[in-house]
Amino acid sequence: MMRDTESDWAALLRAAKAGDGRAYARFLREVAPVLRGIVRARGQALPVHHHEDIVQEVLLAIHAKRHTWDAGRPLRPWLFAIARHKVADAFRARGARLHLDIADRAEVLPAEPGPDPDAARDAARLLGRLDPRAAEIVRSAHLHDEAPAEIGRRLSMSEGAVRVALHRALKRLGAMTQGSPR
Amino acid sequence: MRTEDLIERLAREEESAVSVRSGVVAAWTPAFLATLVIMLVGWGLRSGLGLALADPLVLAKIALPMLAAAMALAGGLELSRPEGHATRALPGLGALGVAWLGLLTLDLAITPPETWDEALRGQTRLACLLSILALAVLPTAALLAALRRGASPRPALSGALAGLAGGAGAAAIYAFHCPEDAPLFYVTWYGTGIVIASAAGAVLGSRWLRW
Repeated sequence: MMRDTESDWAALLRAAKAGDGRAYARFLREVAPVLRGIVRARGQALPVHHHEDIVQEVLLAIHAKRHTWDAGRPLRPWLFAIARHKVADAFRARGARLHLDIADRAEVLPAEPGPDPDAARDAARLLGRLDPRAAEIVRSAHLHDEAPAEIGRRLSMSEGAVRVALHRALKRLGAMTQGSPR
Repeated sequence: MRTEDLIERLAREEESAVSVRSGVVAAWTPAFLATLVIMLVGWGLRSGLGLALADPLVLAKIALPMLAAAMALAGGLELSRPEGHATRALPGLGALGVAWLGLLTLDLAITPPETWDEALRGQTRLACLLSILALAVLPTAALLAALRRGASPRPALSGALAGLAGGAGAAAIYAFHCPEDAPLFYVTWYGTGIVIASAAGAVLGSRWLRW
């Protein structure tokens, strides 16, 4: 399929800007498979069911920022700049969360959260041996599934500082469960 | 949600036709004029302004910040597009910064070393710094708000450019009041105010201009 996507897509989006909703839908429909290809090529480490979510996030960003395309300028550089930005964003967010899930099982809750009513208390007891802020970060990230950015906002820390604190706290918890409390 | 359903839904939404450029113009112009009026009412023009403007060193303290504000605005607009490149705005601003520091060197050459200290400190350095920062708030905030509709590939840099435009614009306005004409003074204190405003803009931009 060797078509000139630049002028085709630009014409569709120009029509969309003039209020043609059908042209806009066609534009998004033609762009979606290209985005899917980009996501698939980059996203081998990610479960496939995340891929379509990311495609949709990029489509939403294109939609939200469509007024930043200047009809007098080339369309493809604009489009791919948005795709690059949002795909990188989406992978960063999910990469971190996936990593946290693994850490969760490996270090914080070494026992299956089965019928044992003491498990939660054990976790609470372990958390109690961390400093309050670190305990709060671990609780928020793993028991309440909050994103580091949100935790940071609540505790007025940068997202990076939250990640670092979380990483250190998990390492300390790991050391505790292996019987070397410090 | 299926992607096809999402597309259908998005296609039914109204397009907002206002470009970022006209949004920035609509935000910056009134903010800048209001700041000018605030300075005229709250601070007042310096005496002998007309005469002072005949001195190129006095003219430079208005013209260079004004030019910097214009370049920072253009740079902010360039970076409001996702495919925008910082490299277009930065060389011009860099050259302007060199010229600004050149004025300082020039003043060092024509001022006797024993009076450098006095010239640098002037009479009004704290008022000058605080005034420029205060006058920078409105234009910087207006610009940041307008740039939120854009899609910056470098949010912190976009914010810094907004702070630079606001700070340099405020310095140019304040220069109509400020009676201190030694480059040693104004390069230092105007420069400090502009750098602080840019740094504040960078911090705010990294939060507000993300998308």
